[in-house]
Amino acid sequence: MVAKFANWLDERVSWRQVWDAIFLRKVPKVNWFYTLGSATLFVAVNQAVTGILLTLYYVPTPDHAYDSVQYITTQVPAGWLIRGLHHWGVSAMVVLVVLHMLRVIFYGAYKYPREVTWFSGIILLLVVIGFGFTGYLLPWDQKAYWATTVGTRIAGTPPLIGDYLLRILRGGEDLSAVTLARFFGTHVWVLPATLMLLLGIHLYLVIRIGISAVPKKED
Amino acid sequence: MNEQEKRTYLEKYQEAKKKGFPFFPDIVFKDAVVSLVVFIVLIALAYFVGAPLEARANPADTTYTPRPEWYFLFLFQLLKYFPGKLEVIGVIVLPTLAILLLFFLPLLDQNPRRHFLKRPVITTAATLAVAGIAFLTVQAVRETPPPAEVTSGDQTAALYAANCAPCHGASITVPPGTNLHQVIAQGKHEGMPAWGADLSTDQIDALAGFILSPGGSQLFTQYCAECHQVPELVASNPLELKRALDEGLTYPPHANAKISDWSAVMSAEERSRLLNFLAAADGERLFATNCSPCHGSSVAFSGSEAELRALISKGGLHLEMPPWQTKLSQTEIETLANYVVDPKAEPSGKNLFDQYCKTCHGERVPTANNLEQARQIIASGRPHQTMPIWGDILTSEQLDALVQYTLQAAQGTSLATGPQLFGTNCAPCHDEFGEGGPNPSLPGDIIPPISSSEFLKTHDDTTLQAIIAQGQPDLGMTPFGTAYGGPLEDTDIEAIVAYMRSWEVNPPAALPPQAQPPASGGTTLSGAEIYAQVCAQCHGLHGEGGSGPALNAPQFQAANTDQDIANTISAGRPSTAMIAWGGFLTSTQIEQLVSFIRTLPSSSASPAVPSFAVDVMPILQVKCVLCHGSLGGWNAASYTSIMTSGNHVPVVIPGDAANSLLAQKLLGTQASGEIMPPSGKLSDSEIQIIVNWINTGALEK
Repeated sequence: MVAKFANWLDERVSWRQVWDAIFLRKVPKVNWFYTLGSATLFVAVNQAVTGILLTLYYVPTPDHAYDSVQYITTQVPAGWLIRGLHHWGVSAMVVLVVLHMLRVIFYGAYKYPREVTWFSGIILLLVVIGFGFTGYLLPWDQKAYWATTVGTRIAGTPPLIGDYLLRILRGGEDLSAVTLARFFGTHVWVLPATLMLLLGIHLYLVIRIGISAVPKKED
Repeated sequence: MNEQEKRTYLEKYQEAKKKGFPFFPDIVFKDAVVSLVVFIVLIALAYFVGAPLEARANPADTTYTPRPEWYFLFLFQLLKYFPGKLEVIGVIVLPTLAILLLFFLPLLDQNPRRHFLKRPVITTAATLAVAGIAFLTVQAVRETPPPAEVTSGDQTAALYAANCAPCHGASITVPPGTNLHQVIAQGKHEGMPAWGADLSTDQIDALAGFILSPGGSQLFTQYCAECHQVPELVASNPLELKRALDEGLTYPPHANAKISDWSAVMSAEERSRLLNFLAAADGERLFATNCSPCHGSSVAFSGSEAELRALISKGGLHLEMPPWQTKLSQTEIETLANYVVDPKAEPSGKNLFDQYCKTCHGERVPTANNLEQARQIIASGRPHQTMPIWGDILTSEQLDALVQYTLQAAQGTSLATGPQLFGTNCAPCHDEFGEGGPNPSLPGDIIPPISSSEFLKTHDDTTLQAIIAQGQPDLGMTPFGTAYGGPLEDTDIEAIVAYMRSWEVNPPAALPPQAQPPASGGTTLSGAEIYAQVCAQCHGLHGEGGSGPALNAPQFQAANTDQDIANTISAGRPSTAMIAWGGFLTSTQIEQLVSFIRTLPSSSASPAVPSFAVDVMPILQVKCVLCHGSLGGWNAASYTSIMTSGNHVPVVIPGDAANSLLAQKLLGTQASGEIMPPSGKLSDSEIQIIVNWINTGALEK
């Protein structure tokens, strides 16, 4: 029955071709370091799922942000777990992304023909940092407020454009409701959209070109 | 990499692939194992450590040591090595350079070799970069102290954090001369609520002080909060606050308190910061607490800001000091003179001073250069300072605010005068907040709201001023401008318009209700009712006159026939506030009015005998007692003292107001000295009550 349905579907959407291309492709003999990329992908999915669950309760206004986060942590069933996973997922993400990049650097995997994969990877790194920076303010606690105050002030230091940058980031002179709305919007709309686009390119290239082999001494 | 090298690489890669494994299940299995481990670690962290949540963000708490998330720490640490102008290198130049280098790595590193030992430059650079970031992160952790405990106890900071900080952030820059109390109480710009409903006046004052002098709140918490609540001190007299701070342990109420000598603990700057917090440098409030008791709602002053500042700082000349030689013996004057020149030399002088001088001079013993001068002044009296030397009492910030406000108020542009003028002149018809209502002069007509945003948007200042000045004779609104026979100066009208403008950004607290037409038509109004609503505004409630002529005067009554009066009402008088009422009132109503006006002389010829307790005392209590109380001279605090005290006894001659000094001073017919009160003549009706009371025997009932 299942086989019959699989055939029926294959006749129409040719999924076997996609399956073969993605999962049955041959891969050079690799070591455990090569799992860092997929582990990063896994944490990214974890962040997306827990993040979406968090938005069901989170309220991005200075009046309610803190209370809603507190509510999620203490009242929502498994809220502590969802928020815990999302919170620690950030650190895991940063660690895995950096290790993944170091693996690519030390194995020379950014070289021909994988340069474009590398470019997309660097932008993904910046997106991850952007996620961390914008997400930090959302709980609206002391740490969030003051670290973001300092962080955005740093953006205001360059001459000429500094003030302008600062105003864009904060949506005014000071950290305010506008800043929170801005950071929230960036965190849940702008960055995820960018991430999905770049991740698509990144994964497409990895599958299309194939994962690099472990370089031997003579390579 | 040339074409040959590329081809070689691709061939080798194809071989490696052939020798390799399929992605599924071999590689996927490894990936799944690692992902699972990561997931378990995450769950363990969530369970055992949890996601931290510190105290609610408090923008006012600048003592908090901000510390970024760990993965930004290295950047944070890097900034410390680029102080001042170099900051931009650490902040922008280095990170941008690093990201660009990283991004263009495949283009920079064209070496065909791939093994890390064959690429020493890249391998070393990457290793150094990782080591550097790790080092910076460790340094940052070691150098940054853990977040400080949130300081508790600063009630005002908490109030600020809860109410102001969410929108305003850690601090607010206030332009000089801002009436901060009013802004907080009534709201100002779009989105700012009127806090007057939620916060007490003292809390608002405390907030104003906090915003203008944030350091003061901390000092309060540190030194005063153990015994005092913020509102309690904020509401007290600046004179006392200053004394308490200056005198420290010798300040009588602090005599038994275990406190420090404030002048030793706090620097002069800190003390003034604390004072600025407790008595916010808010001109209107300072004026209200310090100046209004004598000066009323504003002071006529035409000099420069510097002159006014000097005048306030130095204090002024006001009351006359009596010649004490008529009351004291020669020896008593001698003792007092000695005491004044050197209080320690003549301790017995203190009793005399307390008895005779303290009421006006307070604790401050006036100084005299020599005995002869002191003796002479005490014996013969003279004008001298009774206005406090505010320069000694107020901080320079408070003085600035007070000067600014006083000048503004003197120019008539003060916002505070707007609502007042609106209340007396416009509110009778337009209601308290301009919401409109039934038109008293046009039966059946409804006055639409003038506080609605539509109305205010479609009428510019010039139009509004013109309407107020010229009136809207077709709609029953009389002209208010002096040029058109009304009571208001141009500056008054500007103040009213300015007040109306404030509704635009800050709609009145009460929502303009949909005005209801009067239940019954205007035809049932009696002559008296029509008079009260239409005529009394200018002609006085009893026809005693105001901006319009007196109607109860015998001359008026004799010179005009009924027909004359009816004609004048109907046709009005050109170029005066008397518009042609024939357009609004029916001939029957005009007839009713005329017959009511005919009754005016009799009703006002024998006015009800004013009661001292009900009519007279409340006026004196509000207008006179602040100065004419226990300060010496005439005392207006009770019936007995009114009749018997003062240097010009008696000030009240029962049955003869014309010769009573009290009435003369109020009417401005006195032979010497100034009209009272100094803040401006009482209203005609108030004066009339007192005059009538004197004329009817000045009885104590």
